[in-house]
Amino acid sequence: MPRLELVAELEGHQDRVWQAIWHPTKTILATCSGDKTVRLWAPASHSDMSSWQCIHTLDGGHKRTIRSVAWSPSGNEMATASFDATTGIWEHDMRENDWECVATLEGHENEIKSVAWSSSGQLLATCSRDKSVWIWEVESDNDFECLSVLQEHSQDVKMVAWHPHQEILASASYDDTIKIWREDDDDWYCSDTLQGHTSTVWALDFDASGDQIVSASDDQTLRIWKMYKPNNAQGIPTPSNDPTYRTVCTLSGYHGRCIYSVSWSKVNNHIASASGDNTIRVFTQTAGGDEPAWEAVATIKDAHGVHDINNVTWFPTQQHGDWLATAGDDGVARIWRLVQDD
Amino acid sequence: MAFSSALVLTDLNDYIAPSQACIKPVEVEKSEDQGPTEIKVDLEGDYYEISKDGGESKLEKASITLNDCLACSGCVTSAESVLITMQSQEELYGILNTNRLAIEHNDPSQHRTIVISISPQSRASLAAKYNMEPLQVHKRLVYFFKHHLGAHHVFDTSFSRDLSLVESAREFVDRFRRYMANGGEKLEAALQQQDAEKQQEAEDGKRRPRARRRAAAKNEDGDGSATQQDMPMLASACPGWVCYAEKTHGAVIPHITAAKSPQQMMGTLVKDYLASKTNTSPSAIYHVSVMPCYDKKLEASRPDFFLEQFNTREVDCVLTTGEIEKMFMEQNVQFDRLPEAEIDDMFNKTVTNAEMQMAFGTAGSSSGGYLEYILRTAARELFNIHDVPTDPATAPNNARVIVKTGKNADVREYFLQGDDGRILLRFATAFGFRNIQNIVRKVKSGKCSYHYVEVMACPGGCVNGGGQIPNPNSEEVLSAKDWVSRVESVYQTVPGVAPEENEVLKSIYDEWIGDPSSERAHKLLRTQYHAVTQSLANPLATKW
Repeated sequence: MPRLELVAELEGHQDRVWQAIWHPTKTILATCSGDKTVRLWAPASHSDMSSWQCIHTLDGGHKRTIRSVAWSPSGNEMATASFDATTGIWEHDMRENDWECVATLEGHENEIKSVAWSSSGQLLATCSRDKSVWIWEVESDNDFECLSVLQEHSQDVKMVAWHPHQEILASASYDDTIKIWREDDDDWYCSDTLQGHTSTVWALDFDASGDQIVSASDDQTLRIWKMYKPNNAQGIPTPSNDPTYRTVCTLSGYHGRCIYSVSWSKVNNHIASASGDNTIRVFTQTAGGDEPAWEAVATIKDAHGVHDINNVTWFPTQQHGDWLATAGDDGVARIWRLVQDD
Repeated sequence: MAFSSALVLTDLNDYIAPSQACIKPVEVEKSEDQGPTEIKVDLEGDYYEISKDGGESKLEKASITLNDCLACSGCVTSAESVLITMQSQEELYGILNTNRLAIEHNDPSQHRTIVISISPQSRASLAAKYNMEPLQVHKRLVYFFKHHLGAHHVFDTSFSRDLSLVESAREFVDRFRRYMANGGEKLEAALQQQDAEKQQEAEDGKRRPRARRRAAAKNEDGDGSATQQDMPMLASACPGWVCYAEKTHGAVIPHITAAKSPQQMMGTLVKDYLASKTNTSPSAIYHVSVMPCYDKKLEASRPDFFLEQFNTREVDCVLTTGEIEKMFMEQNVQFDRLPEAEIDDMFNKTVTNAEMQMAFGTAGSSSGGYLEYILRTAARELFNIHDVPTDPATAPNNARVIVKTGKNADVREYFLQGDDGRILLRFATAFGFRNIQNIVRKVKSGKCSYHYVEVMACPGGCVNGGGQIPNPNSEEVLSAKDWVSRVESVYQTVPGVAPEENEVLKSIYDEWIGDPSSERAHKLLRTQYHAVTQSLANPLATKW
């Protein structure tokens, strides 16, 4: 049975850590915190992965908690979403090896909960307690144009995530639904509403192909949704000629409290979940097709002690494909490794 | 934004949505802790606080009026029902009834002159629904209001819109001159230089790599444009936009033109000019306007449009196109079977000659044609250019004005070219929330290079207002988008006539106002805006 092993502990933040997000290509971790800063961490040396140091601190950009952080696909820019209702855009100056806040996007009425950068690097999405999802386009010279303000959720929107290769957005909300957004001739619209969870949907993630979504909810379950295109073989109706998503698997009974975060590895297809019951769980797929089956293979209890685990993220590339980063209310970020005991 | 989400049309959700926080939290003065208090309610429902020594002090009722909710709709009082009951056809029926009784009992003091002003956008909406021409709709509305219901005058706000256009253009020319005198000339020269360089690059086939500007460069546009407030000038005719700006982006308020909207210009015409002409007290006139949206109700109830001296509003009641349709049903009237009455009231834009009658409007977008008119006037007054087309967007091959569509159909840029190829004026339209966001952001950061922006809250312009008649067809027959296009094309069938050619208006203006730069002119034709400041004194309003 595989198990999770602690690789490193990253201490330094003065308040809870909300997210721990990996750089898209390098071995660098970004953490954002209630102490209004973002810290970048890297291993102290190539040979010793257990000792990490903080290589940068991004400060002074926000007046309140930084709830979410996202890297651009190139890794040269970052977006920070804050409870102060603004989104900061930061750029890495290679010559001075420094990060600078080059733009502040305003518009949301209150706390921004999540920010996500599309795989093309051209679009940015933010969502907020004001029930709206905003889509921005990256222009040259640090200007961001608002492309659309989508107001179809009926409650606080907790998270947004882009499809791994297409410009399709998914959002998760306190209204118990997930919405899929597409663009039609400059107008963004909601092409599908995924219902099934019986409470707040806190997080979601796409699989490597983008055909499936995993969602984590306050109803203590994880749901796997599969995309069905119009005229699909299974006969699933697709209203308005857009692909639709259906639940193909529900993972329940694995967590005793709200599940706050979920991550689908783009390297090894594992799913990791983090919950208010203080455990992290890893699942692997044991059967595919239209009725897939998933099995829990590894668990860490009290990963952050008695504190909530806010975020779990798999390493994005082969280099450390078995690594997981977690962020907790204890102000610490941890890196774990999935070890296959044979 | 006080715009009910129930009014959002499918597929077109770019409206400013209700906000989440009340801007008027109840202020509770913290007094010294005097221990537990007792509250008593008397028979009239008044609340009294009984202090320790037995004395009673009447408690003030916390009240939130429609005016408070001008730019906010995050709570109970913003419910559509409140908006509707305070300005509804019920009110109009009430006044009509009082009139009837006044005549019966021969009591002129209870009688009010009822004036109805119809907007061309509402007219177009009805025309599209009943498959008629706007003129036919207008004539039937005259019959409905005057002959069936008992109103006294029916006016067309296309008439008062001319006043609004002229005043806006006048203000623009003043602002532009001021701007040029205060550093604008250098700025323009620099921008024209940039244009020339870009042109050169394009011709040479070279492309300079775009360097990302550093944060320090943010304020370093080298022009202090962030501090000057004359340019760009932003349209004021849309109350949805104005209320949103007042509440959320107070910094852009100095940019909004002070000229009143067509609705309020008509209000001034009716309650000042008409009142004095007919020797009637303004409070004895009941002015109803028929508009394409609900925000016009909020505009009518702004304190700035309340005539304290006469205890009356310039516009007493606003009814949406949809509400007028309801009236037809309530009155058991089949609109398409109504006879047509003559349009004989003075504030209309029709021309009758021997053969026929024609209705006229203004060239340009369905939101009033502000951009087109101001562009033409400014070109003439500032640069002595007389060949600007009345509607540049429909004259694509003209060399004088280059029209470019932006990211989406609701953003268009208009560039006025001088004879030497330099761009002299840069105008733009920005309809809908996402485009408003972009304009506001640019203005706030001093990066807005436009001189005038026609800002409107509704994507697609006023024909797509929240109070217009919804698509009567099913989606398969005609989509919502196509319905809006149809209403727009019906609107455009009314040919435009420039305000300068409105002879009736000119003579009224000369008689009534005289000097356009006088204080009296400003008092009658201009208004003010007020940034809404949120007082966060109330701990209950704390967000976390």
